[in-house]
Amino acid sequence: MDFGLIAQYLANGILLGTMYALVAVGFTLFFGVLDVIKFSHGDVLMLGTFIGFTAWLGLEAVGVTNPWLQLAGVLLCSLAGTALIGAAIANWLILPLKRAPQLNTLLITLMLGTAIREAVRLFYPNGSNPKAFPALLPDASVEIGSFALRADSVILVVSGLALIGALNLVINRTRLGLAIRAVAQDEETARTMGINYTLVVLATFAIGSGVAAFAGIMNGLYYNEINFGMGLILGLIGFSAAIVGGLGNLYGAILGGFLFAGLQVVGSALLPFASAYKDVFAFAVVIALMAWKPTGLIPERSSDRV
Amino acid sequence: MKFNTRKSLRAVVFSVGTSASLLAAVAAQAKDTVELGFIGPLTGGVSSMGLGGRNSAELAVQLRNADPNSKYHYELVALDDECKPNVGVQVATKLATDRKVVGTIAHYCSAVAMGTVDVYHRFGLPMTVWGAVLPDITYGNDYPEITRVNGTMINQNEKAASVMTGLGYKTFAIIHDTTDYGKGHNTYLTQFLTEGGASVVGAFGVTADQQDFTAELTQVKALNPDVVVYAGLTPGGVRVRQQMEKLGIEAVFEGVSGIKSDAFFEGLGGELAEGTMTFLEGAPAEKLPGGAYFLKEYEAAGFDSPPEAYGPFAFAAMDLLIDAVEASGPDRKAIVEYMGGVKEHASITGPITFDDHGQNTVALITAYVAQDGKWVVWEDSEYASGARKLVAPK
Amino acid sequence: MAGALVVLGAGHYGWALLMAEETWQVVGLLALAGMATIAAYKTGFVRRVERDWAEAEPQLNRLAFAVLIGLILVLAGSHFALLMISTVLLYFIASLGLNIQFGFTGLVNFAGAAFFGAGAYTAAVLGAQALIPPLLILIAGGIVAMAISLPLLVPIVRTTGHYAAVVTIAFGVLFRTFLEVNEILGGPQGLMVESMKLPGWDFYNAPNLFGFETSFYLNYALMAAGLAALVFALFRRLERSWIGLHMDAVRLDETAAACFGISVRKTKILAFLLGNLILGVSGALYGMMISFIAPASFTFSDSLLLVSIVLLGGLGSPWGGVVAATIVVLLPEKLQLLQEYRFLLFSILVILVLLFRPEGLLPRHLRNFFPNRRTGA
Repeated sequence: MDFGLIAQYLANGILLGTMYALVAVGFTLFFGVLDVIKFSHGDVLMLGTFIGFTAWLGLEAVGVTNPWLQLAGVLLCSLAGTALIGAAIANWLILPLKRAPQLNTLLITLMLGTAIREAVRLFYPNGSNPKAFPALLPDASVEIGSFALRADSVILVVSGLALIGALNLVINRTRLGLAIRAVAQDEETARTMGINYTLVVLATFAIGSGVAAFAGIMNGLYYNEINFGMGLILGLIGFSAAIVGGLGNLYGAILGGFLFAGLQVVGSALLPFASAYKDVFAFAVVIALMAWKPTGLIPERSSDRV
Repeated sequence: MKFNTRKSLRAVVFSVGTSASLLAAVAAQAKDTVELGFIGPLTGGVSSMGLGGRNSAELAVQLRNADPNSKYHYELVALDDECKPNVGVQVATKLATDRKVVGTIAHYCSAVAMGTVDVYHRFGLPMTVWGAVLPDITYGNDYPEITRVNGTMINQNEKAASVMTGLGYKTFAIIHDTTDYGKGHNTYLTQFLTEGGASVVGAFGVTADQQDFTAELTQVKALNPDVVVYAGLTPGGVRVRQQMEKLGIEAVFEGVSGIKSDAFFEGLGGELAEGTMTFLEGAPAEKLPGGAYFLKEYEAAGFDSPPEAYGPFAFAAMDLLIDAVEASGPDRKAIVEYMGGVKEHASITGPITFDDHGQNTVALITAYVAQDGKWVVWEDSEYASGARKLVAPK
Repeated sequence: MAGALVVLGAGHYGWALLMAEETWQVVGLLALAGMATIAAYKTGFVRRVERDWAEAEPQLNRLAFAVLIGLILVLAGSHFALLMISTVLLYFIASLGLNIQFGFTGLVNFAGAAFFGAGAYTAAVLGAQALIPPLLILIAGGIVAMAISLPLLVPIVRTTGHYAAVVTIAFGVLFRTFLEVNEILGGPQGLMVESMKLPGWDFYNAPNLFGFETSFYLNYALMAAGLAALVFALFRRLERSWIGLHMDAVRLDETAAACFGISVRKTKILAFLLGNLILGVSGALYGMMISFIAPASFTFSDSLLLVSIVLLGGLGSPWGGVVAATIVVLLPEKLQLLQEYRFLLFSILVILVLLFRPEGLLPRHLRNFFPNRRTGA
């Protein structure tokens, strides 16, 4: 295998990994504060991307054509809108079910995911067909041998990693982050310390959903195509990545995201002419990893109360 | 309780919406009512195809009901098979055991049709396929109830191979989804290309809902073929074409009938789509006397989604079924018999003649090329006349 | 008395719902069910039913079975209604298997459709061999489903909660993708399945009852009803036995269970294998009935359908499972009237049910060790 090919695989793996990590971060945040799995995460991501797309259509209509301005508008609308939706879901569907069995939250969010997906398909104009997402980033590229390094990929990876870094700072260095960590560790104690529990939960869901919307926009900018089903598989992979890495831990989510992307790329590169098996390969490795490290690669620091 | 009422209200609103037109028509005339079925995927990933087919069948029924010379009043019973065989068997049983239904047109997904043909045969319900392309649906059995107006993937790939090799292309890389549709196309296209002296340098199976094709395309790039073929449906086709560009692959992009939809341009934008080749059974709707009429009426009926590639076939199948009822009465056995003798029957997709397996033998295949954001018949395009050029063979 | 009334009423309601064709009938029946439930709660009727059930469960179970058989015989001529009844029953059996896993033991299984499908595929492969008696194929379906779950035992036993969920999700996706890319088992196109045959009784032919022509689905409906009764009885026995007790203990607190000398590992393995066995058996019969199977029928979303039966009904509650299986199988079918809008409506309905009844429709009660003795309140 020549250098160009390897470099191409590597570049692709890094981009996919960043995207998966961004989705996995959301799962891990929600699990941290509420111990719940929000399965509609992928579909919320899809909704966020469609909000961004609609914003772009709107900007085009009013005559804003500068790609950077458009990008800012798209990101602003998408992130803010999705954050609001995430908080709304937490407030009306997840918090009321806090006392019910954990699995119920899972089912209710699964159903919500289906509802969102079907609603976009039915009510977004011509929603059952894929849409062309605009290429707003510069498409310059540097040729290194047979490998083309594209500027837009670099920008996407860098900004994605920067977002994860920023999130890490928020969690570890700010008052809000402190509150989130406190709630994650012990809800009752956090309440008695005067932390507004509901507000912290809502903020966490808003942040997690916003990050997912960013991943969605990133997906749209990279593939220049979005569709109503895009959230399903991204959500599934993001969830697996969060679990394999270890729930409740940002680094675990990042590790899991890159690991899963790596597995997919290796699977299709090393299994020549059988790339259909790459998902079989990736998920088989996930099962094996779970057998080896039952609480993820970076386990939660917790002990059973006896 | 508040939610319950709201829910039922909504249900009522929905169903009134779908049956309002029928009710109005019933009130207007006093003919006997005949029920005809439609089955296709109305929810999920390929629902745009199913909805296009449903609307087209609905249109055929509406137009006939508006015709004062028709003997009966027709009613369409449309059911959703979700593109899943078990659901397909369920809804097929529902239709086939409903004595009021005398005939149906059904299925876009081949795996579903394979599962349901036994049901139709068992209960003697005449069924005409409007979209599924797997040869075995008609050729795998001797059921007189089963007929098909669209061609099989065999005809399509034979034409595709001869056109492409005729243009001088020698090396092909095929990316196909792992559904029966994609796999079947891969098998037959490979067969005809090899017979035609060209070679398939690589074949890659991908899942139907795959987003990222970079890994496959990176290998394709290394193989450096003349043509990259995607055997699958529009969403995948859009992604493959898009990502070919990202990786800088210089080759002709060729699709199969599944990508011949307006959604291909909507998902890709005109520029990247330019020069994409694809093949579809039948002559283009606008080229046939009835075709322009179909498109005009479809427009006029105000459906909220386009007919898609197989809409004209659904229309032709439903129209044929209605003709059968008009000619031999609303009786299942009589309709099956009528279908067995269909020869040179005029339709908007060209004349229909069924062979002894109920397969439409006039398998006219048309080559299309994407030009200025539209599918143009190859022979009429600027590419064929030499005014524009596809990527040259290497 | 109240219990018997409910069983008879439910049977009658089932008949009405199966027969309902027109929109107004379906909507009316759904509204009726909603109002009846609310009325039952307001008047305290529910408590009387529950007391009856606690007092005379065996009799009421037998009555319910008799009503079910009666319903099947009444509908003996209508193919579609029988197909729906059989489907509901088979999904119900499958949900019992899942209930042993996560209703009792707390083992999450998101690959239900994969094990169900393993049974169906076994039926397809073995059914093509004329030498193997079909009744044995049912059992073989269960055993194969159990066998393919063996490699999962290590990760399942070692992980808990959401971590276990991802193992089964991965397995479900893997199973389906494997079937699709592999030509051996028919690939994406699927396989034909031979129908069920007992000595002198071919399920393909319609039985003739006293000169009255019936549907061939009658065979399957009766067999499914018998199987459901058998598995139900087994399920109840298991719940009352010391194994069931161990399972409950493991679900409620693994550490405490281990302290009392319960082998957490053995209990989990037993629950996982037994559950998959039941899933496989019901899948095998389902495959024979549908007579054609393809990977598209055993996807992740089908697993979710099974999980939603268990959760909607209430964890560990078999009667809840009956109600939930009816809703999950029959409702989307009845909502065909709405065509492309039906899944949207279905998912919204499930969300509403879960919001107002987070414990499921008929939650499981605390263990009752003396079923025939009157309890205090």
